[in-house]
Amino acid sequence: MKFSYNWLRELVPGLEAAPRELARLITMKTAECEGVEPYAPWMEAVVAACVESVEPIAGSHNVKAVVDAGPEYGRRTVVCGAPNCRPGLLTAFVPPGVTVAGGKHVRSIVIQGVESQGMLASGAELGLNRDSAGILELEGVEPGAPVPGCPVDHVIEVDNKSLTHRPDLWGHLGMAREVAAITSLRLADPVREELVPQGEPAWRVDIRDFDLCPRYSALVFENVTVGPSPLWLQARLEAIGLNPISNIVDVTNYIMAELAEPMHAFDADLLHGNTIIVRRAAEGETLEALNGETYRLSPANLVIADERGAVALAGVIGGAGSAIRATTRRIVLESACFDAACIRKTSAALKIRTDASMRFEKAQDPANTVRALARAVELFQLVSPGIRLVGGLVDSWRRAPEPEPIELEMDWLARRLGRPIGKDEVRRILESLSFGVEEPRPQVFRVTVPSWRATKDISIKEDLLEEVGRMVGYDTVPPVAPLLPAQRPWVNEERLFHHALRQMAAAQGFTEVSNYSFISEEMAARFGFAPEEHLRVANPISVEQSLLRRSLLPGIHKNILDNARFFPAFRLFEIGNEIHKSEGNQMPREVPHLMAAIYTRGDGREAFFELKRLAECLMPGCETRPCEPRAYEHPARAGEIVWRGRALGRIFELHPRLIEQGRASVLDVDLAEMFALGPLPKKYVPLRRFPVSEFDLSVVAGLRVHCAELAARIRDAAGPLCERVQYLYSYQGKPLPEDRQSLTYRITLGAADHTLSSEEVAAVRAAIIAALEGAGFSIRQ
Amino acid sequence: MLDSTLSEIEARALSAIEGAADATALEEARVEFLGRKGALAQIGKDMGKLPPEERARIGRLLNTVKQTLEERFEQKKAWFEQQALAARLDAEWLDVTLPAPGVRLGSLHPLTQIQKELEDVFTSLGFAVVDGPEVETEWHNFDALNIPPTHPARDAQDTFWLENGLLLRTHTSPVQVRAMERFGAPLRIIAPGRVFRNEEVDASHEHTFYQLEGMMIDRDVSIGHMLYFMKTLLEAVFRREVTVRLRPGFFLFVEPGFELDIQCLLWRRRRLSGVQAERLGGAAAVRAGASQRAARWRHRSGAVERVRLRTGADAAGDDALRHRRHPPAAVGRPAVPPAVLRGGLR
Repeated sequence: MKFSYNWLRELVPGLEAAPRELARLITMKTAECEGVEPYAPWMEAVVAACVESVEPIAGSHNVKAVVDAGPEYGRRTVVCGAPNCRPGLLTAFVPPGVTVAGGKHVRSIVIQGVESQGMLASGAELGLNRDSAGILELEGVEPGAPVPGCPVDHVIEVDNKSLTHRPDLWGHLGMAREVAAITSLRLADPVREELVPQGEPAWRVDIRDFDLCPRYSALVFENVTVGPSPLWLQARLEAIGLNPISNIVDVTNYIMAELAEPMHAFDADLLHGNTIIVRRAAEGETLEALNGETYRLSPANLVIADERGAVALAGVIGGAGSAIRATTRRIVLESACFDAACIRKTSAALKIRTDASMRFEKAQDPANTVRALARAVELFQLVSPGIRLVGGLVDSWRRAPEPEPIELEMDWLARRLGRPIGKDEVRRILESLSFGVEEPRPQVFRVTVPSWRATKDISIKEDLLEEVGRMVGYDTVPPVAPLLPAQRPWVNEERLFHHALRQMAAAQGFTEVSNYSFISEEMAARFGFAPEEHLRVANPISVEQSLLRRSLLPGIHKNILDNARFFPAFRLFEIGNEIHKSEGNQMPREVPHLMAAIYTRGDGREAFFELKRLAECLMPGCETRPCEPRAYEHPARAGEIVWRGRALGRIFELHPRLIEQGRASVLDVDLAEMFALGPLPKKYVPLRRFPVSEFDLSVVAGLRVHCAELAARIRDAAGPLCERVQYLYSYQGKPLPEDRQSLTYRITLGAADHTLSSEEVAAVRAAIIAALEGAGFSIRQ
Repeated sequence: MLDSTLSEIEARALSAIEGAADATALEEARVEFLGRKGALAQIGKDMGKLPPEERARIGRLLNTVKQTLEERFEQKKAWFEQQALAARLDAEWLDVTLPAPGVRLGSLHPLTQIQKELEDVFTSLGFAVVDGPEVETEWHNFDALNIPPTHPARDAQDTFWLENGLLLRTHTSPVQVRAMERFGAPLRIIAPGRVFRNEEVDASHEHTFYQLEGMMIDRDVSIGHMLYFMKTLLEAVFRREVTVRLRPGFFLFVEPGFELDIQCLLWRRRRLSGVQAERLGGAAAVRAGASQRAARWRHRSGAVERVRLRTGADAAGDDALRHRRHPPAAVGRPAVPPAVLRGGLR
């Protein structure tokens, strides 16, 4: 929203703060200003000038004009190409050395043999309107005087988002009220409500749905002359980014920018009948709007209609069929209030965002409609002389109950604010913002909320705290530590557990990644996950992100492919939630998982066991059990991780078809299950007092006999003296047959109370050998 | 006569020790002069024939010579050993500039790092760190926070809706509701976590980002207290003094709402490189006491502060906010009954 500094100054007489200072004050007390731009700074140098004579220039459509530019610039010769450049014309003269709109720099130059000592300017060249057809035509001004009504201005731009809750700040008067309160000045209300005509209305209003249109007011005018607005009005609209159109439309826009009340003027002769009907659109009803588009409507949209059909989309845009034309003689001027949510939905659904809809969706004040009409009566007389009112005020509304006054205790206010504040200051602040203040009990105010703040903004005492707080300035509140009991907060053990795992993985060389929770159907299909097993986003940003991940694998897989292009080997991990669909509308199960991966260009063997080492760091003593491979797993390289009796996850090599070059091993652990196991109990064992005995055994076995299976057999056979069974190495080749390998283990025996005799050791060794041979294995000597 | 023999032996022995080329030659010299059958031993035998006085004198002389030679011999022997050790160690030369084998430390995601840091700061101030589910009910995400059904935030352009009517939380505020239900009052919590908004990704927007929301419920919590926690947090993160500026800001159904601007000096190579001002997310006091459901909390007051974390995009300067991503919230919990306090943000 753009605010004109000059306009604010008119509404706050005596305002002295410079534009930038004013913007700072507004930022600190009301809403965030995004910037201050000078508007038409060249107008300081531009003066009115009278064309004295005009001579054609041979071979050109330009003319040589001599102008009287007043005492400072004197008589000047200028070359001018405007068709309306004629003797006697009062226009605008730009002296050399001045830069005007669009960065155009005016210099003294020779054009077609004539020295042009300045420029005669059009409204567009001066940035006052969009008219570039000819140079300005002024009236009632002396040569050398400034162009009337067009002084240099500054535009303060305020962030629209910071005005979301303040319908009143969508007009200059609302912001002027803030400025007056901030600067302790008086607000000058431009509205003269006595101008509203009394008597029998000439038009009728039929509101069919008061929820969607709490109030509709209108006035009827005749003897209207439609033409361009006076320059001051055009310039003012131009300054705040509104496009001047015609005197009637410009006045409605001016009032919208001043009072935040969007208005619409219908050509009364193009309406059928003399009743305005405010109703929901019929299904499929169409309306050709002012922007030339035809919209197909539904009952969700509110329309303004005459007896034949819709003539405007309420609060959003007018219809083309009843728009103001050059020949319009009679108008119906609408000033209404519409339901914010309805306007927002219509505006969003039909993708029409107008200055009107932007204001109505902030919940405008129903009390404002007639004030706007009063202002229109005054301004129409300025821009369309001879205009006459027809009949009295048309006004239909359902009054909302008066908002309850709010009780505000002074000590509560000071405690919540965090600084002392006197009641006189509170009263001054609230009254300057037009709140009504009574003091029914000592130190307690009864505060009445002005109508324009009551629509959605202010209803409880915390709202008043905000009003007082921002006006005294939050920078006056000292940061203070609260006095609180020294209680230990609840400890989020699970979160700490995740942090610890992250530390461990990073210490083992893994880099943490963080992937989106979204995957595509195609990604799901690549791993054999059925799309219907996923929670689906109803309104995804793209089809690439339409499902919620129920495994971290798709994201990790993408990380692997992306990084494999740059690095020959890497390790990464993620801790994130799997999201599993539940029956019906039940909350889904969100299960935290850890997924780690090692990528190498080798044959993958080493990577697999490195990853297994990580699993053993995270879960000391965990086992990897052979298991049925899944579709995305290497069919001969997959295992299940079992720790403390629970299957917690899997370790596998990614199926080589999922990866072009190199190999990747993946570890996937269910952290919810793992956390549920609790911390590993700590166990301390004294140092052994008697020496241990060791011997090695090489067992000849088939090529796919599992190392862990043999170790378990040895351990079982060794009995209670067995301290440790350690795999050393395996061997294939001569003299072993081709389908045999030998696995060598080191067996450590010991007893807590004596040194083992050689007989005891030999007995255990014999028992192991007997057990292995009994199971069909042989011992390599 | 023995005197001169002794002198001569001493001279020869000394020259042999000095002249020994290596440890072997030295040992040979030792055997020749100091050995059991060496020259000095021979003198000892010959000495027996001398008269007692003479024998005692020659004996002393012999001992002196023997001691001298033994000392010189030991010295020389030590020297050879030292040489041998030095040579052996020299042969063990290592190129210390060779790279160490094995994997290097991995790294934590920047968001994890900043999140841990923030959690530690708040934990040290007595706040509990609370998690909530990423998939939420409309009730927890909007209704409980007093965001009306007609509010644009519920529109598809802001919220990811799921097919079953649930949604991806658009902020961490639902955790407030769950925490109040779980812990009651007084309350001091932070709720960090992954949140989702239906926005196209560009340099300053992400559909997935992280928030950290703090909430305190107690008697007479003031704006000054909130300001204190924000300042303390920022100073802990930046490890230097931070100036904060609080100004009004609009956040949905939060009264009062603030924007917090921060400013601190950034130093680089011991030279002042600039002043960094960064706008932080909203800070707000939860709008309380406005509903009948709020009965239990009527005499309490709450304060909320929220920091929005995002990687890269809005971190200006290398030492700026250190926006980091932290891991998403942990395990989902079952839905809880309606909340007891209204509050909400942006």
